[in-house]
Amino acid sequence: MSQFRFRYVASLVLTAVMVVTGCSSGGTETESVGGQGGGQQVTLSMHSWRVEDTEGYKAIIKAFEADHPNIKIDFKPFKATEYNTILNTALQSDSGPDILQLRPYAPGIALAEAGHLEPLDNVPGISTIPKDVLAAATGKDGKVYGVPLSLNSTQFYYNKKIFEQNGLQAPKSWDELIATAKTLKEKGIVPISFGAKEGWLLSLSHGVIAPASYSGTNYLDKLLKGESDLKSAEFLQSVQRMQELIPYFPENYVGLELNDMRTLFATEKAAMFINGSFELEGIKKLNPDLPLDFFPMPTDDGKQVLTTWVDGSYAVNAKSKHKAEALKFMEFMATKKFGELFANQFKRISAVPGVSTDDPLVNKMAELSQSSATPYLMVVSFAEGKPTTKQTLENALQGMYLGKLTPEQVVEEVQKSAATWFPPFKK
Amino acid sequence: MRWLIHLFPLPALVIYTLFVVYPIFSAFLYSLYDWNGIKRGVFVGLQNFITLFTVEPFNEMFWNAFRHNVFYFVVEMIVQNGIAFGLAFLIYRKIRGSGFLKIAYFMPRLLSVIVIGFLWKLILNPNYGALNSILAKIGLEEWTRPWLGDPDTALLAIILINSWFGIGFAILIFLAGLQSIPEDLIEAARLDGATGLRMLWKMILPLCMPAITIMTIFTFIQAFEAFELVYAMQGSMGEPFYSTDTLAVYFYRMAFSSGAGDVTLGLGSALAVVLFFIVGSVSALSLYLMRKREVQH
Repeated sequence: MSQFRFRYVASLVLTAVMVVTGCSSGGTETESVGGQGGGQQVTLSMHSWRVEDTEGYKAIIKAFEADHPNIKIDFKPFKATEYNTILNTALQSDSGPDILQLRPYAPGIALAEAGHLEPLDNVPGISTIPKDVLAAATGKDGKVYGVPLSLNSTQFYYNKKIFEQNGLQAPKSWDELIATAKTLKEKGIVPISFGAKEGWLLSLSHGVIAPASYSGTNYLDKLLKGESDLKSAEFLQSVQRMQELIPYFPENYVGLELNDMRTLFATEKAAMFINGSFELEGIKKLNPDLPLDFFPMPTDDGKQVLTTWVDGSYAVNAKSKHKAEALKFMEFMATKKFGELFANQFKRISAVPGVSTDDPLVNKMAELSQSSATPYLMVVSFAEGKPTTKQTLENALQGMYLGKLTPEQVVEEVQKSAATWFPPFKK
Repeated sequence: MRWLIHLFPLPALVIYTLFVVYPIFSAFLYSLYDWNGIKRGVFVGLQNFITLFTVEPFNEMFWNAFRHNVFYFVVEMIVQNGIAFGLAFLIYRKIRGSGFLKIAYFMPRLLSVIVIGFLWKLILNPNYGALNSILAKIGLEEWTRPWLGDPDTALLAIILINSWFGIGFAILIFLAGLQSIPEDLIEAARLDGATGLRMLWKMILPLCMPAITIMTIFTFIQAFEAFELVYAMQGSMGEPFYSTDTLAVYFYRMAFSSGAGDVTLGLGSALAVVLFFIVGSVSALSLYLMRKREVQH
């Protein structure tokens, strides 16, 4: 009896200790496999926030393992909203994975600054990736810490059938966009599937609409140097345009979430839907027969812009016991072979240049992201601050749609937030 | 071997220390650092507390969330506990089907909060939700609205759902209080001529005070730690426009909210410490004050 009790207590204490020291199972393991050419087999652990990509990675990892029989990769995804916490805890207790997915821009770079990441400048293939793409994982010291995975683009998706039936074409200017929306509304079709309940979708939509108000990189240069600010006429107009679209949103749009918006568009009740390349798969799954196309944002000087940013990179843990092997995987990720596998597997734009897929829409996005891209300003340049300037914009836009703030007050709030941390505004 | 008996509480004690006592102390400790969640920064003393109460937008967000917690408490006291006491009294007086009612009111409690949140989100959906459809069908078209997207109704909707969820538990507590009143005391009062409301006001309520005290403190703690239902229905941003933000949601957003680069574990811990003091001191104080008013029998 007493022995049983002792075991019971001991096992409880042990469990508790294991919980506290935490996550040690996520660490590295080495197993020596006899007979296979006598080589040491290494298993690398790889953490990601893309649970939905698990199947896809299986195929990609298989291709890598075929070329590197000594390396096995254990892909382990976590829930996206908990990923940062899990990763940070593991890195601090020195039990982090060998390979980790890195959030793009400020949050990911913060890990490099804390000394957790291995510089990747010498990995072959890195130099073929454009500099502005690498910027998503480049530290303030100028070193590259991650191999970028893919570009995200945001644009107006539209229903080709509804457009044709109403004699409409993809608009070429802001006025044409408004006229198109008006026509659709008169015909009893919801012009733009939109919801204001989730803040991140507001900054995302603003990211699509805004570049038309400051066409050209001229304004961006001035803004990022601090010669202009977010209260400028250009930025204010971008917020006013967000307001101008209100009549063309669905009824009760302030209570709608992404799910509702996607459903409205996929069930052909709405003609347009502002969203990201990452939604492509979701829309197609809901309605495979949807006559789907997209148009980039038309600017007033007759051009068009596609808003893009880098979505995540992969990095190597500076304390990994198998750095050489992990770097081999980084090398693989910078190859065209990986880019093609990735793009076809996930229907996403690969960060490796010149990769095409079997999906014409993805190819069109990839092409435009090379010829007419504009950065998603809030993610690329204004994702810092506490709360971030991006979050401040989201909240203020929500306030505007609820009738609590004017566009002037929105830009005021955003500028105020940026001025607390953005170096060119601080002076 | 008798000394072995002292080992029995050990597992509970170990777990309690590890998961309750230790985190409380570590939160105190963390609140003194500037910490972004990746690498513990410099020791800043009480700076996080000062920031919390004096720097925009933190102070605004704090008081905004605080007001919502107070509102949460008041509405729950009136709606949940008021109705629960009335129903408990009816069940106590043994109206027809009181046994069934007791079970029926407790039913929502059996579902997890996440399920409740999901169910009500469907019911309140502005496009295809049951509530708006019913309102439109019975001719109250102008009452339909995006309940959870409208800052005027979102918080109230969540609190009412929480009251619906909590009413069964409150009934059980009140019923236990009512049933503990000695029959002879009621009988004596009745002989002295007390009836109806007078009986309720002068006899039953004072004798029920222990149950009411307990329920008030429960409700207070619950209102000030309101998190799950808000998070399940509105996410960690307290959307829309911070209209459903509570202190616990605000804490979660600061300390853990992933995906953005604005994690401030030090500041979040400071808020947790403040929350701990609010709940702890008010609970202790009200327990002390209300005990004094309780009638001993």
